[in-house]
Amino acid sequence: MNVISCKSLTKRFGPNLAVSELDLEVSAGQVYGFLGPNGAGKTTTIRMLVGLIAPSAGQIRLLGRALPDPGAVSQTGSMIEEPAFYPWLTGRQNLKVLAATGGGCGAAEFGRVLEATGLSEVAGRKVRAYSQGMRQRLGLAAAMLGRPPLLIIDEPTNGLDPAGIRDVRGLLRDLAADGTTVFMSSHLLAEVEQVCDRVAVIVRGRIVEEGPPARLGAIRRQIRVQVDGADTAIAARLLARWPTRQLADQFLIEHGSGRDVNGVLAAGGVIAESVTVELPRLEDRFLKIVEEDRHAVAAES
Amino acid sequence: MLWLLRAEFRKLVRPLVWGTALVIVAFCLLITWGAANNASGGLASPRIPDVCARASTPQCTQVIAHAHAAARAAAAATGQLAQPGQIGHVAAGMLASLPGLLLIAMIAGGHWGGEWGSRTIRQLLSREGRRGRVLAAKWLSIWAAGVVTLLACWLVLAVTGPLIAKVAGLPAPHAVLWAGLASSVSVAGRAVVVLGLFAAVGTAAGTIGRGQLATTAITAGSMLLALLIASIASIGQISPASFVQVWMGFGPAGYLPTNFWSRFISNGQNLGQLAGLLGILLTVVAAGAIARWRFAADVTA
Repeated sequence: MNVISCKSLTKRFGPNLAVSELDLEVSAGQVYGFLGPNGAGKTTTIRMLVGLIAPSAGQIRLLGRALPDPGAVSQTGSMIEEPAFYPWLTGRQNLKVLAATGGGCGAAEFGRVLEATGLSEVAGRKVRAYSQGMRQRLGLAAAMLGRPPLLIIDEPTNGLDPAGIRDVRGLLRDLAADGTTVFMSSHLLAEVEQVCDRVAVIVRGRIVEEGPPARLGAIRRQIRVQVDGADTAIAARLLARWPTRQLADQFLIEHGSGRDVNGVLAAGGVIAESVTVELPRLEDRFLKIVEEDRHAVAAES
Repeated sequence: MLWLLRAEFRKLVRPLVWGTALVIVAFCLLITWGAANNASGGLASPRIPDVCARASTPQCTQVIAHAHAAARAAAAATGQLAQPGQIGHVAAGMLASLPGLLLIAMIAGGHWGGEWGSRTIRQLLSREGRRGRVLAAKWLSIWAAGVVTLLACWLVLAVTGPLIAKVAGLPAPHAVLWAGLASSVSVAGRAVVVLGLFAAVGTAAGTIGRGQLATTAITAGSMLLALLIASIASIGQISPASFVQVWMGFGPAGYLPTNFWSRFISNGQNLGQLAGLLGILLTVVAAGAIARWRFAADVTA
């Protein structure tokens, strides 16, 4: 079952197109990563998902219900950008107020979410005295209140120290293991790679890549070939059939099979010193996508 | 809805609301204190024209007797108002005029406009997506804060009033303690309706201003503009300020001012009290319609 389903989702702010014809499917129980450079349309998409802004066109289905359906939104736990709270209330009081806003929840629930986010000790302190990391944790605690089946979280580890980042990663995995679907945006690509089951990359309001993080990197994996210095000219000619970059006596070939590359070199009489298949990290792939898009924009203009 | 209201009431327990309510109560107390002293001074030395102070013509004798009688009447009236039952007139009149308007403007700014300024509106709307309910809860909670301040003001004046009258040397009232209670309750009931109007204007202002200062300024500014319009002969009668004037039946200020409204307004007297109530209700409906229209727009805070 798809917990989030967007069809041709579009948002315009005056003449500016923030999100364009976006299609997105998130299945139940997944941890879904939403990646993109600044201004790509991530937060706009998230704001549409939680009903803060209305799409200019297209449809959103959340938990099987078509938006605008306030019921679907209130069943979703969310944290959008830097979480904001009432500074004159304590952490626990803020959670109580937020729970009451959504219809209330049992007293034990506050203890559970505070414990899960490591805030039990400081729950009685006024939020104005909280650090950014503590506010971030409180935002997660608020999103988890009432065990919503879907969590939509913008930059969950923003402002956290390394231990906090590790804790949140574990928390997200635990939530997914319990059947909660997590939709998160992040700038920390390594984090997405470690935590997410699927990833979508959004650039200029359009999804340009989608799939499991490992596959996303492997789609265009590279073969690194090292040849003897005397063979570089022949090797360059033989490898020209694929997109290739030459770095002295090394070649980086965009192709999926090391066997093909080695075969072509051998048939041409070149014995490679080494042939290595390189699986680019998500970060490399992401940066490449953004770079490609930048070139495309430059070419269009 | 009750849960939501509970959350809104919890958020009202904050220094801004307490502080503003305290200032208003202190203002009412000061006004009563000043009025009692003025009346006492007037009783001791009635306002007699200089020419009569030196002459003893029959006309002057009449003028002097008249001045003494007026001073005694004013002091007696002020003394009557220093009764727990009667003093409700002062609390109700103050809260249904400029002091009450300023109180509501401040509360609307902090409690409603501040949701945008502090960006807690995101949390609020992602918990309760039914925006009509959010508006209703905001309106009711702002209104309730005004009503509670009115009651607190009455209570403080009821306790301190007899003491003030005694210290000022005003004639002791002959009536029983609860004399005038029924008429005070009636005025207070009418003041509650006016506070509902101010709260509705504040709620609409929040959706327009989307910030604390802007909401306070729009709430106070729009009603002050209504006061200004009320003094224009051709259109004054259709100003919300005129509706308040005729509904409350504010009279001219004596030793003890029972409002800060009638001195700024000269029209509206031709309308009946029912027309005033109708006008107030229509203004509330118009403010509600503006609030719903403005609040339906995207929330980008």
